[in-house]
This record gives sequence, structure tokens and C-alpha cells, in this order.
Amino acid sequence: MTRYLAGRLSVFIIAVFLLTVFSFSLNYFFPGDPITNMSGVRSFQSSYPLIMEMRGGKENIATQYMHYLHHLFTGNWGQSLSNGTPVFDDGIQHFVASMELIILALLVAVTLGLPLGVFAASRFRQGSDKAVVSLAMVGYSVPVFWLAQLMILLFAIKLGWFPITGQINPLYGVEPQTGSIFIDVFLSNSEYKAAALQDAINHIVLPVMILAIMPMMLLLRLMRNATQEMLQKPFIKAARARGLSEWRVLVKHAIPNALQAVLQQTTLLFSLMLTNSIVVESIFNWPGMGNWLIRSIFERDYPIIQSAVLMFAFVILFFNLLVELYHGWRFPIVRHEQYATR
Amino acid sequence: MIKAYVTIAAISALLVSGCQSEEPEPAPLANGIIYCSEGNPDTFNPQLVTSGTTVDATAAQLYDRLIDYDAEQQQFIPALAKRWETLDNGTRYRFHLREGIQFHSTGYFQPTRALTAEDVQFSFNRWLDETSLYHPVSGGSYPFFSATGLDQLIQKVVKIDEMTVDIVLNNADSSFLANLATDFAIILSAEYAQQLLVNDHPEQIDLLPIGTGPYRFENYRKDVLIRYSRHPEYWRQGPGIEHLVYSITPNANKRMLKLVTGECDIIPYPLVSELNALNREQLIVTNEVSPNVSFWAFNTQKEPFDDPMVRRALSHAINREAIIQTIYYGNAELAQSILPPTSWAYDNKGIQYQYAPEKAKRLLKEAGHSDLNITIWAMPVQRVYNPNARRMAELMQSDLAQIGVSARIVSYEWNTFRRRLSRGEHDTVLIGWYADNADPDNFFRPLLSCAAVATGGNRANWCHPGFDQLLYSAIATTKPEERKALYQSAQHLLNQQQPLLPIAHSKRFQAQQRNISGVELPPYGGINFRLATKSTAEDETQ
Repeated sequence: MTRYLAGRLSVFIIAVFLLTVFSFSLNYFFPGDPITNMSGVRSFQSSYPLIMEMRGGKENIATQYMHYLHHLFTGNWGQSLSNGTPVFDDGIQHFVASMELIILALLVAVTLGLPLGVFAASRFRQGSDKAVVSLAMVGYSVPVFWLAQLMILLFAIKLGWFPITGQINPLYGVEPQTGSIFIDVFLSNSEYKAAALQDAINHIVLPVMILAIMPMMLLLRLMRNATQEMLQKPFIKAARARGLSEWRVLVKHAIPNALQAVLQQTTLLFSLMLTNSIVVESIFNWPGMGNWLIRSIFERDYPIIQSAVLMFAFVILFFNLLVELYHGWRFPIVRHEQYATR
Repeated sequence: MIKAYVTIAAISALLVSGCQSEEPEPAPLANGIIYCSEGNPDTFNPQLVTSGTTVDATAAQLYDRLIDYDAEQQQFIPALAKRWETLDNGTRYRFHLREGIQFHSTGYFQPTRALTAEDVQFSFNRWLDETSLYHPVSGGSYPFFSATGLDQLIQKVVKIDEMTVDIVLNNADSSFLANLATDFAIILSAEYAQQLLVNDHPEQIDLLPIGTGPYRFENYRKDVLIRYSRHPEYWRQGPGIEHLVYSITPNANKRMLKLVTGECDIIPYPLVSELNALNREQLIVTNEVSPNVSFWAFNTQKEPFDDPMVRRALSHAINREAIIQTIYYGNAELAQSILPPTSWAYDNKGIQYQYAPEKAKRLLKEAGHSDLNITIWAMPVQRVYNPNARRMAELMQSDLAQIGVSARIVSYEWNTFRRRLSRGEHDTVLIGWYADNADPDNFFRPLLSCAAVATGGNRANWCHPGFDQLLYSAIATTKPEERKALYQSAQHLLNQQQPLLPIAHSKRFQAQQRNISGVELPPYGGINFRLATKSTAEDETQ
């Protein structure tokens, strides 16, 4: 395990290193003064000479990079070019808001997708299996932005059940502190917390639903195929021969083994969701990373663009690392496969 | 697994129960109004801008003026000044201030005194007196005042006693009171300014505003919202709500959807035709005839737009009738002059901007340009005069292609857009203007005078000494007939030179929920929430 851990970690560190080199060089590719692009402080501002000094603006590129890394890891990400707010604090809020959305969507996808997949596998090639699989095909193929429009038309305009923008009705006066709307409601000093919470739930339903559908359908298909494959294996036959009930065969033998194959795909799932979250956040004005990135591109706010890109890439890398480590720990066979290929 | 199903059932039950609740609205929602505005304000001080978005967001809500203009009665009415008199043959105006007017008390400032002459003096000197400490704060540019020449007109502001202030003019001017009644001539707190100076943060006067208006500032998050609450000690009848939130929604479609879902109480610039098609009973659309014009300005300091022949040729290529139908859905009038037909100085004799592509081609050839590549800058926001500049630019792009001119459409975020315009980076731009006061002068000097080139308000960068001469003669006289004749010559000169092509005079629309009342859309100036109220569901059923 130690060897496996070290291997994974070093790959992760190298990737992060390349990532920082990339984001550092962005400052030079963007038009204008690199120091301004990094810090968001323009050359006519009084703090500029100090910033220049701190970021090693007059020294060679390697020193500048070291300064850049130092600023990066101490959370000193400069300020926004358009309104002067600190990028790091903003970034954390947007990150938390995005994660709230993505994690809830992931939960929905897992709690609905996996059982449906198992269900389909256990009814392999029967009518209900075909129905579920066709549904999954449709759900997976519909583009997110179009699905969002349809859902808005149905649930918000026709039925009037859900609102379509933001995290909460602004009249509740809940100000973002952490970025997660549920935590913010609890932290707020509003007298109407229950009503505010209800309102926040109403706001989050549509984006979570839309964000969850594609990964849910993907999980469903993966789970169905993996379970089906397991059900063909000799040890299942043996289990059945021992007289276990079909339920026990599924839950105790087929599913745990099928999960291994599915887990391997969750990294793909996660980056898919992160990409889709950009679209969903833009449509629903969700104050998350995607929305933040799109807006900063529109406003040519370079310090934010590079921080957002860095955060997106880092989150994906980090999630990959976590999944791989868990995978290696939970399924020893994975570790052995890794050694064998080297 | 069973557990999972139970959880799902529980969650869905919770959600369904949530969205079908029939209980009365919680207090914060019943006492507040959400206005879905179309963009971010640049600042919270309208002295610094001419942008309608900023004026809508600040002027009538946070501040008061010395006098107001009553558009219905067509007369000036007292506001912070309870009365005023004209002295010294119209070169000195004396204002007697109302007593006991309280400034906002907020988390960042607690006033210790009511409004006095000192505040009025400070507010005027902010933009008038270049030696004042606050003059350079936030850029030191006061486009409305320099474009209207008010900063040249006023000689000084003199404090007579605690409650009396005199404004001394260099010469008599017929448009002076009209300019004082605009959204820009607001009164700030001198005490607050002093406190900020002591704390060494003078720039906060425009970011954390203090005024005497019906609402006080709570907070602002860019691209998200502005939050105001009612000013409890407001000196005249105030609003019937506690909170006013500007929810910033630049996308016109989204604004309309949010109105339909009830997330907005009021929206500006609705897509009128589509809203009518929705036919929702709880929504009403109101409109106000407003003195505005949208135009296509050529940057006359750039080749080849310095040649009037080229400008005329390009103007002839544009099918403006089609624009009126497609962009305004017929809710606008074809502009024959920069002045709207409702103005008393309007004149359309001999003014013809007709659609004639063949003539355009010929003129362009004569001017010696065959392959012209131009950019059309289209503003990214909806304004009352132009609901969709990008779409308009696309129409013009195909019109121009007909005469062999290829056009590229350029757009930036609104603040960036205007900053770059002021630097003269554009070839041509689709923009417009709406009047701040009832005087025709307001359509000329802020837009086309040489002074306005320097302040960036002159989008054509067009400085014509003869034209300037006409404008200055027109304000020097008080005889309406003389003024009318001068403005008519100015319009003829414009027609010859065509630094810009007037396109349309549109009506200003807003859409709102039926239970909102008292929101005013004055013909001159920004939206006004002073008397806004929201009736609850119970009131309606009775």
C-alpha cells in the first residue's frame, strides 16, 4: 500500500506542478502587464511598486515563479481587476457553492442510479430492463442546457413550483459567508430561518435535478453492465447452488464486486459533472465556480480567470487522487495490477 | 437498499410539501420589493455618471435634490429647498432649506445633525470647485455637469446662514433650474465626508453612500444585488415597504422568466411582445412616453469617418423601418432628428435620412472607398432607447453588406464598453440618450458639443465650432422664438454633417406584478420607488 500511495502521490504532485507552471505562464500569455494579471493591481495604483517588489517583478522568471508559488500557497491570489475584491476569499465562496450543488447532485445520482442499474441487471433482457436502459440512453444523450430549458418551462413557468435563479430569495437577507446556502441560512440572523430554508430548498431543486440526470444515467448503465457481468461469474453460480436467495446473491456477492468497476469510472463522472456545472450555474445564476469563471472571461478579469481554471483543474486532480487511493485501499487487486504493469 | 428507497421517498415528500404550501407569505417577502435591474451601477453617486443604470439604482432612492420637476404640471416643485427666489436679474438664486431633514443612519455612519447649508455647499463644490478636497475623488470627472456646462455657469455657492444658500451664476441661463431638478444634482452629507477624510477613506463616499432619500444603503454585491432598506426618518411621505432589492439580471429573457415565476416584482425593459403573448393575469405592462433617442454614432476622429460623405453613405444604407419593426416591435417612432417630436424645438423640415442603398453605394464610390471594413460597437445592455443593440447591429451588418461594407460587431461588459468608448477606440457605435430635463439643450450639449468630446459623452467625437456657436447662442437667450430658430439651424447642420444617424425614439416600458403600486417612471430621470407599496394577497381578495 505504501508503494502504491507513494506512486499515486508523486503523480499528483507532478500534475499540480505542471498546472501551476501553466497558470503562471498564463500571466504572460494574457495581454498587458504580467504583474497586473497576477495581482489585479494596476500600474498606476499606489500599491503597485510594493506588489512588484513582493512578486519579484524585476527579477528573473524562475524567481518570479517561486514568488508566484509562495503567493499561491499562502492564499494570496491577488484582487479582482473589475471590483478589487480579494480573489481567494471570493474563490472559496464560489467553490463551496459549487460543491454544494455537485455533491447533492452526486448523492441524487448515486441513490437513484445505482439501484436502478441493479434492478435492470436483475431483470436482464426483460421488458423492464429494456425500458430502464432506453430511458438511460435518452437521459444521457439530452444536452444539459436544453434539458434545463425544458425543466424551467415545465416546473417553473407552467407549474410554478420552483424559482429559477440564485440560491435564495434576496428579501430574506441571507448574506453569503461560507458560500453554502444551507450553512449560510443557519449562520444568518434572520428571524425567518425555517421559511428561508424552505426557500433555499426550493431554489436548489431544479439545478440539482438537472445536474444529476446525466451522471445518474451513466451510473445506471455502468452498474447494470457490471452487475450483469458479475451475475455470469462462476462464484455466483456457486452461491446460488448453495441455496442463497436471489436477494442475498445480489446484495452480498454481485453488487460489492460490481461496485469496483463502477468506482473506477467515478472520476470520469466527476469531471463530467464539473463541466456540466458550468452550464447549470450559468443558467440558474448559481454563484459557483462555473458562473465565476464565465463572468471573469467576459470581463477579462485575468486574476480570476487563472484562479478559476486552477481551481477547476485542482479539484479534478484531487478527486482523482482520492478515488484512486480509496480504490487501492478497498480493492487490493487494483494495487497488484498497478505493480504488474510497471 | 430499502433504506435508500425510504430516504428518497422522504426527500421527495419534503420537496413536494415545500412547493405547495398555501400559507401566507413570510414577512420579509410581504414587506419587500425586488426590482430586477439590467446591470451593475458604476458607483453610488449619480454626480459621477450619465449612465441610466446607475441613475435608476441610486438617484431617486438614496438622495434628494433642492427642487424637483413635476412633469404633469410642467413646473418645478420644492424638495429640500422649501422655496427659492431669483435675484440680480437671474444671476443669483437663493434657496431656503427645509428644516429637520435627516440623513441616513447606517452601520458606517450616524449623523449628529440635520441638513444645513453646509451640505448643499459641499455637494455643489464636489463637482464645481476644483480645489475642493473631494473634487478628485473617484476620478474627478463629472460628465453631466461639464457636458451641460453647469460647472462653467455657476460662479460660486455661498452660504448665507445655516438654512439659506445662494448660487451665483456667471450669466443668466434659461436652463439652470431644469438642470438643478435632474437626478444628478443631488445633496450629499458634508458631515459624512468630513468623517471619511479623518479616517483617510474619502473614496467610500461613493461606495457606501449617505443621503437624505427614501431608502438607505445596506449592501451591494457586484452582479448579484443591491440591498436598500427604508429610511425611517424620511421627511416626506415614504414607501410602504421595508426593503428594496435590486436583483441584477442583465439577460432580458431571464428577466422576463423571473417576472413570470414571481422572483421579480418589477422589471425594466421587458420584451413586450413576448410578455403580451404569455397573457398572464397577474402581470401588467406599463409604458411612459420618454424623451429619448437611439443613434448610430461615427467616430469622426478616425479615417474614413472624418469624411461627411462616408457618413452619409453609410446612413443611407440602413433600413431603419425594418429596425423599428424588428427591434422595437413597432413600439417606437422613426427618428427624423436627434430631438424627439414632442420637444418644442423639434423640426423635420428638410431633414431626410432615407433608406437608399443605391445612393449609398454611389456616395461611397465618390468618396473613394470600395472595400470598407468597419466595426459596429453594440452595447451589451438594454436601455430605454435600445432594447437590443446586438440584434440591431446584426441587422445593420446585413444592410451594410448590401453596399459592400463588411462590419464586425464588438461588445464588452457595459462598464468596460463605455470606458473604451470614451477613449475613442470604436469606429461606429450603437448607443443613445435620454433627456434628464425638459430643455432641448439637454439633447445637444451633452451629446455633440466640443466640451462633450473631452468628457467622453460625445460618442461621435465630433467638434464643430459653428455648431457649438449655435448651441451657446441658444442658451444665452431666454426668448423661446429665438431659441427655437437656433435649434432648428442646429438640426439642419446635423443633417448635413451626420456625425450620427438618429434611429428611433422609443417608449420606455416596464412590467410588474399587479400587487405593486406607486413605482414611478418619470419622463425625465430614473425610476422612483419613493411611494412604492406592495399589497398582500389578503388585500387583493377583499
